[in-house]
Amino acid sequence: MNVKRLSHISIALVAALSVGQAFAATRGGQMVYGRYADSLFLDPVLNDANLDIWILTNLYDTLLQPTNDGKGVQPGLASSYAASNGGKTLTLTLRSGLRFADGSALTAADVKWSLDRARNPEAGAWNSSLASINSIAVSGSKVTLNLKQPDPTLPAALATFNAAIMPQKLFTAAPGKNDAEKAKAFAERPIGSGPFVLSEWKRGSYMVLKRNPYYWKKGDDGKALPYLDSVRFEIIPDDNTRILKLQAGELQGAEFIPLSRVAELKADPRINMVLFPSTKVNSILMNNRPKLNDGTENPLSDPNVRQALNYAANKDALIQVVTYGTGKLMKSYMSSTTPLFDAKQTGFPYDLAKARSLMAASKYKNGFDLTVLATSGSADDLALLTALQQMWSAVGVRLKIEQLDAATKTARYRANDFQMRTAAWTNDINDPSQITTYYAVFDNIESVHTGFKSAEIDKLFAQSQQELNAARRASQYQQIQSIYLKAAPIVYLYETPYPVALSNKVKGFFQIPLGNNIFAGASLEK
Amino acid sequence: MTTMHSPVLEVPARPRRRLPKPTLLIGLALLLLLIFAALFPRVLAPFSPTDFDYEALLKGPSAKHPFGTDNFGRDVLSRVIYGTRTDMQIAIFTTLFPFIFGTLLGALTGYLGRWSDAVVGRVADLVVVFPFLVLVIAIVAVLGPGLTNMYIAVSAVGWVSYWRLTRGEVMSQKKAEYAQAGRVLGYSPSRILLRHLLPNAVTPAIVYLMTDMSLGILLGASLGYLGLGAQPPTPEWGVMVADGKNFMATAWWISTFPGLALTLAGVTFSLIGDGLADALRPRA
Amino acid sequence: MHASYVIRRLLQIIPTFLAVMLVVFLLVRLLPGDPASAILGDRATAEIVERTNRELGLDRSLPVQFGVFVRNLLQGNLGDSISLKIPVIRLIGERLPTTLFLTAYAAVLGVLMAVPLAVLAAVRRNTWVDALIRAVFQVGLSLPVFYVALQLLSLLGARLGWFPIGGYGENFTGHLYHLFLPALTLGLNLAAILVRTLRNSIIEVLTAEYVDFARAKGLRSRVIMTRHVLRNALIATVTLLGLNIGALIGGAVITETVFAIPGVGRLMVDAIFGRDYPVIQGLTLTFAIIVSLVFLITDLIHARLDPRAELT
Repeated sequence: MNVKRLSHISIALVAALSVGQAFAATRGGQMVYGRYADSLFLDPVLNDANLDIWILTNLYDTLLQPTNDGKGVQPGLASSYAASNGGKTLTLTLRSGLRFADGSALTAADVKWSLDRARNPEAGAWNSSLASINSIAVSGSKVTLNLKQPDPTLPAALATFNAAIMPQKLFTAAPGKNDAEKAKAFAERPIGSGPFVLSEWKRGSYMVLKRNPYYWKKGDDGKALPYLDSVRFEIIPDDNTRILKLQAGELQGAEFIPLSRVAELKADPRINMVLFPSTKVNSILMNNRPKLNDGTENPLSDPNVRQALNYAANKDALIQVVTYGTGKLMKSYMSSTTPLFDAKQTGFPYDLAKARSLMAASKYKNGFDLTVLATSGSADDLALLTALQQMWSAVGVRLKIEQLDAATKTARYRANDFQMRTAAWTNDINDPSQITTYYAVFDNIESVHTGFKSAEIDKLFAQSQQELNAARRASQYQQIQSIYLKAAPIVYLYETPYPVALSNKVKGFFQIPLGNNIFAGASLEK
Repeated sequence: MTTMHSPVLEVPARPRRRLPKPTLLIGLALLLLLIFAALFPRVLAPFSPTDFDYEALLKGPSAKHPFGTDNFGRDVLSRVIYGTRTDMQIAIFTTLFPFIFGTLLGALTGYLGRWSDAVVGRVADLVVVFPFLVLVIAIVAVLGPGLTNMYIAVSAVGWVSYWRLTRGEVMSQKKAEYAQAGRVLGYSPSRILLRHLLPNAVTPAIVYLMTDMSLGILLGASLGYLGLGAQPPTPEWGVMVADGKNFMATAWWISTFPGLALTLAGVTFSLIGDGLADALRPRA
Repeated sequence: MHASYVIRRLLQIIPTFLAVMLVVFLLVRLLPGDPASAILGDRATAEIVERTNRELGLDRSLPVQFGVFVRNLLQGNLGDSISLKIPVIRLIGERLPTTLFLTAYAAVLGVLMAVPLAVLAAVRRNTWVDALIRAVFQVGLSLPVFYVALQLLSLLGARLGWFPIGGYGENFTGHLYHLFLPALTLGLNLAAILVRTLRNSIIEVLTAEYVDFARAKGLRSRVIMTRHVLRNALIATVTLLGLNIGALIGGAVITETVFAIPGVGRLMVDAIFGRDYPVIQGLTLTFAIIVSLVFLITDLIHARLDPRAELT
């Protein structure tokens, strides 16, 4: 448990730094950052993967921005916003003198064009976050969003990568017959409104982002951000190599440090091993349907069994063995860093006696066989499931681990052809509605394909989506979380942080709970 | 590793000079040890290979755990011993079918020649120029994970080497005097082939079989690195080395001891291969 | 005679290539999990998956898809990568030289290590020198490549700081410097195979009758060594290299991953796991062409070196 405590101290330290910003940042220099895989497609609207999402906001700025603690939004390209007309109109005021990275002016027309593109229901996977917008009007520096209904999630949605502002003229001038082709061409050399601009990209090897001299935000010294001249991403898929390269001083930062190496790197005086608080929840999804795809009876359709499995999982031991003490108990289906997370949620603390009595109350007193899908090659999945294999044998459950490569696992999952699977989730938007539509609401993807359906949750959620009163919305979410916990459609495991190892020289770098890497305020001390 | 493509083919050289006799003996003695461990791991292993011990995570070698414990508190020595069974299985099942099928096919097409040889030759070309990894992942993905499907994937490719070796041998031996004599004596082609040609032509294939066995084990390790190897909690040396690589700086014993076991198996097969090459020297 | 032989061999390759393309085309589509699932991940809704499949033309029948594929292929177009959204030809053009450089480098290092040591082991056969040489390479051959790679990396790269950790440099000397450790990893493996076989074939020559005869004629041992032994060693080396080159290129997968080298090996793994059909197809074709060419070239060199060899 010592390790755990340590990690919390360092989180606190990071938080203190972010609030204080007391250091005098050094300007200039290149920060080399080791990533485990390269980005795929740098278009804010048409991308699909965290590999893109988590660096996109360095290239493309948004009207509003998520705060570094992940709890709210702060002004971005828009200096202010205000709701009117009973919440059915949102008016944003753009900063004056905004420019894209090529020096051309960023106007309200660019904003309208970008948001219209992002909310086109035929484009990309993210348009639903802006679905409440009915029309957009601009005049001068004012952008007026006319809504179909009040939408409490809209400010957070406008602070999300897909609502980034792009240069209409440059994009439409890109070669290509349609939007998709133009996006392909534009995304190879994107010009955006973010603190950096892409200067070189050798796919699969490295990517260089240069300082955008026209960026609006000011640093502590009163001059324009970013402090760094450039950021260079090196793609290093092997964890060991990435760490060795950092230790050799060839990198100033490395992402996705295996949790097994966190303690070792904390002891390294040259390295600042940071565990950034995240919105990551790790759980096991259960198929709640009475029968499996092959027609056999499914013991997991019994809530008693699902609760029993939850109680029989010794989370403290799992957190120790799988996350090396860096994780913490998952208490709700959403992470404790998500807005409107209900602090009164308990999760399922380890209680073997309760698990046994719940099993005895089910018709599976003599136990049963259970198959779980794991991602092949994932050390974490294997550690977790081999441990669960042993824990659940105490309630008579014989767990079989079926390892599949990610694409096969996804295909089986999408076809509801699974009994259990490992899963992790991070929010893309600073609002509980996203994870709720996936995990708790049936209509989107059958409650993460568990088949769980609660009319009560569906109703509460529909109300909360138009509820502008913060207290009432919080209470709706409190009820949703409690109903969900009782039904236990998933096995609640743990929350894990983002493990990033930085050189001691790096200051002001952030990975926010959504996962976005923020280089705007990063600097390299001499 | 070179094992990521079709198994490596060695040019068979017929040794002329006797290697020292101990080679084969030492090799066989080591093999017996491995077989014993594979058959009776319970006798040798002090602990269960799969039981966790949360009180003894990542402990270094000690009297209780001579090879230390891994990140689940499992006894590394016991896992290495139980791993012998898995790895001997891999050695046998990745090579058995390719050896039998490839050798027989090689003898047949080498003897018959003409169109049969041409047809098999084209199929062999296809197998050799096809990236092995695509095939392995495809088979593992379609049929599901696990060692069995790795055997199928390897077998689909591995026969080519044995076919090549035996075919070449048979083609050159066909011209040898004793085969000509058999034909003059009116022996049936099948008798000439099975009783006279094959026993003489199979030597390089047997010698190669030994190398192939260690390559098979290494392939298991490589697939383990990509997450396609043996499934947990099955102890397998290659996967143990792969799992231990995150602990190389802090708990070297997790990957080192299974690595030594891999080396021991490799040396064993190589000693036997050299010894056999010597003992089976063609009588022609 | 050589020209007609080469033409005949090239003609033989064509049906093989057609078969390769058909097999890979069907194989990737047999894989569970479609490209849309792979690129969109767990969250995508059914409509988005369907829309993506339509945009990729994967909703059409297999014969139609194959027809489109072959037609594009004949125009030299391998399609666009599904995940990276750039032409496959360009992608392979960017990545292939790196892998070829690495492979050639590994082959050179492997031969440089193997030939002298194999000759030494053969001349001093059954002494401790012989035993030591064979033991060292046997250990190298018995360990998984990722393990050897990581050990070299932490020792020669991190601890001693002689070589950079990963990457592949900007120019020719940069490549030589950056790729030394990965080439050494692959080269050690190749050398282990070469040493074993070369040693045996050299012993065979050394004990052959014509060498005895040459010695009886009073030829100095250095002449025998160069005229007979090394010539034979060279023939065996070329043959072995040819046979192993496919394995070497394929084997680059893990080396490329550990050393963070953007070559085709890693591209292939990513493409398979990402169900990026056009990339898998393009790489398979590239691989088949290279391996076939290497086989042809080794056969030609072999014929030049070994007067007994016939080109059939």
